[in-house]
Amino acid sequence: MSAETVDSGTGPAPRKGVSILFGLTLLGLLLFLWLLLGLATNSFWTPNNISNLLRQGAMTAILAVGQTFVIITAGIDLSVGAVVGFTSVIVAWLLAAGVPLWIAIILTLAFGVLIGAFHAFGIVRMGLPPFIITLATLTSLRGIGLLITNGSTISITNEAFTNFSRADFLGVPSLFWMVIVVAIPAYVFLHLSRFGRYLFAVGSNSEAARLSGVNVHRTIYLAYILSSTCAAFVGLLLASRIGIGNATQAEGWELQAIASSVIGGTSLFGAVGSVHGPLLGAFILATINNGANLLNVNSFWQRIITGVLIIVIVYFDQLRRRGAR
Amino acid sequence: MPGLDEVSDSKSDGLRTAARHPVPRGEPILEMRALQKKYGAVEALKPATITFLSGEIHAIVGENGAGKSTLIKLLTGVIRRTSGEVFWCGKPVQLDNPQEAIARGINAVHQEVVLCPHLSVAANMFLGDEINNAGLMRKRAMTEAAQSVLDDLGFNLPAAATLGSLTIGQQQLVATARAAMRGTQFLIFDEPTAYLTRQESAQLFRLIRRLQGEGVTIVYISHRMEEVFELADRVSVLRDGTHVGTRKIGETNDAELITLMINRTIEQIYHKEHFPAGETIVETRGLSGPGFQDVSLTVRAGEIVGLYGLIGAGRSEFALGLYGRHASTAGEVYWQGRKVNINSERKAMDLGIALAPESRRDQGLCLNLPIGLNINLPIFKRLTRGLTINRQKEIENADRQIRDLKIKTPSRRVLASAMSGGNQQKIVIGKWLSHGAKLFIFDEPTVGVDVGTKAEIYRLFARLLENGAGIILISSYLPEVYELSDRLHVFRRGRLVASHDYRAASHEEVLTQAIGV
Repeated sequence: MSAETVDSGTGPAPRKGVSILFGLTLLGLLLFLWLLLGLATNSFWTPNNISNLLRQGAMTAILAVGQTFVIITAGIDLSVGAVVGFTSVIVAWLLAAGVPLWIAIILTLAFGVLIGAFHAFGIVRMGLPPFIITLATLTSLRGIGLLITNGSTISITNEAFTNFSRADFLGVPSLFWMVIVVAIPAYVFLHLSRFGRYLFAVGSNSEAARLSGVNVHRTIYLAYILSSTCAAFVGLLLASRIGIGNATQAEGWELQAIASSVIGGTSLFGAVGSVHGPLLGAFILATINNGANLLNVNSFWQRIITGVLIIVIVYFDQLRRRGAR
Repeated sequence: MPGLDEVSDSKSDGLRTAARHPVPRGEPILEMRALQKKYGAVEALKPATITFLSGEIHAIVGENGAGKSTLIKLLTGVIRRTSGEVFWCGKPVQLDNPQEAIARGINAVHQEVVLCPHLSVAANMFLGDEINNAGLMRKRAMTEAAQSVLDDLGFNLPAAATLGSLTIGQQQLVATARAAMRGTQFLIFDEPTAYLTRQESAQLFRLIRRLQGEGVTIVYISHRMEEVFELADRVSVLRDGTHVGTRKIGETNDAELITLMINRTIEQIYHKEHFPAGETIVETRGLSGPGFQDVSLTVRAGEIVGLYGLIGAGRSEFALGLYGRHASTAGEVYWQGRKVNINSERKAMDLGIALAPESRRDQGLCLNLPIGLNINLPIFKRLTRGLTINRQKEIENADRQIRDLKIKTPSRRVLASAMSGGNQQKIVIGKWLSHGAKLFIFDEPTVGVDVGTKAEIYRLFARLLENGAGIILISSYLPEVYELSDRLHVFRRGRLVASHDYRAASHEEVLTQAIGV
């Protein structure tokens, strides 16, 4: 087992060796899909469709980055879809109550921080498995959201807010710019700062990390807070895009996020992962959905294709990891 | 095995008869001819020709990375050879998967137990070969059968107990019993006594001799010379992936074997330098915590304080308590004369305490992360400039430790799991040398570590002492603590029961105090 899976310098940053190859393979797959769809359909390479694709992929991509932080610590965050729905309600509700836009945004993100802190509290202090505590908030946040809206939706009338998601900047949809706004600090955090190293260490062996002076509890708080805050941020983007707050939105997005992360090379056993991998994973999934729509493939088939793809990609990734043997 | 016939079903019975006594005692049972293993360009085992005779105990010795693990993996079908041949009972065999090895009667007992801790002892012994009746498991029959095997072997172990509730040493005995009852013809032990107490080792040796008496061929891999001389008929030496020789045990001695292994003489291994004791670094007064009570001791600059006792005697618990891993329940700690309350690992590190813990796998290393990250883990705060880590410094420090400690790796990027026991221990040590400390606690630093690396570690102790540090050395291996400690404390059942100055008591005296008879 020679083992250059993760790393540049001495940390697990995805710079050299096999990791970059895998990143390139994923990028290759994405470009291949784009090329294929360009040849197979007339409508794929139209500005409209590309913008649409970038918008579709953007929200999953941001969720997937947050999710990856948690998975690297050998945890899981099942609540992100529910957090998106819940925070879309929160922001709509605040705006309907006449709260100024920027305060509404900050308060909504603060809810994300609180939810993440609650998850970490459950894991660290109550000793609950991450799967359980986030499953519990998944169902209860949907419930709270439905209670607030009384089962219906809250319309958003603030035009500045709703126009944002339709706007372009330098010809690229603003939603996609948000991916970059999240991805760059995420990259710095995970691959260049010590806290990133701590995430990997805790995911690999939390006892060894603790005995080496790593504050394991704080690291877990950090991971779950980042994941929930990313989800709250996506909740804002979604509310802006659809112009309403609705607690039942973003159903199943947690699975999309986990799938993107795993396709991007993150190991569910922890201690393996990157920032660029989940981003590519999210856009591969978005491309498949987009292409299937253009080709008029039954949407039921889309789900099957996604499932098969997850198996194939992760299988090849495992082969690659074992390859050196 | 007596006591087994009435319980085994027809399948395992068939397997056993097929494998029983394939060749007469003293004839070659397994021959390696120019067997070679390459990983990419690295030759882990250079073409080696070794013949194992039926019914012998054949020891294999060698340093870290000498190719011992590669050899075991080749013979048990875990990895495939690059070239060469293996003959089993005179016929060439593939041995390219574990099932084939097991079907031929080749088994291995590994240093670290690979069984299911949540199942009972009996369930583990029968795992994969359960007694069943029309598809339903006969749990009671298995428990009774397992118990009779354990009793028969003279192990005082309950078959119904959960495996995880036993000590590591006891689990090792279960793993051995499991291999013994499976019609094994060729049994490989990989450093089996690393985690055993003396009594457990004695039980294991009785079992090994008994298996030999029944015609089983034993391959015994160990770092402990005295065990090799006690048990083996012949011994093969590996060095740097090369088979450098095979000797009959009566025709060789320690000195020759060690010279073959490391090109160094035995006097150079236990390397004890005495330094004048300086100021008191740490003093505990009646310290109590989970697993230890009322421990009072002092460590001064320039001295090694040895803690000896059986596994579970409270030494490691004391170390963890002093290190702030568990809150102490009573007593005081004075650090350089000042009363301190060490309530976290960070606090201990900031004062200047370093801990190389008992289990490298569970406590010491992040195994699936790179060596470099492990080495730098305690000091990332120091390596950070602004928001990000100073990559230059990070790389420099990792490479310096790898170079200074002679960690055998092509790169700091290799995962810690790919390293042998001795090199892993060096990574743990490198971590604390990076951080720096006034008091170093080494808990079982040489378990699973070969002679050459041991000598390096002992020389490193001297270097630390010379620089004004103090050392707490915890070991279950008496010669080690005995030869190296300026002051030796004996632990029994969580208490400090006796203290001796350097070589002031005999081995027997210390042992008696540790066992408490």
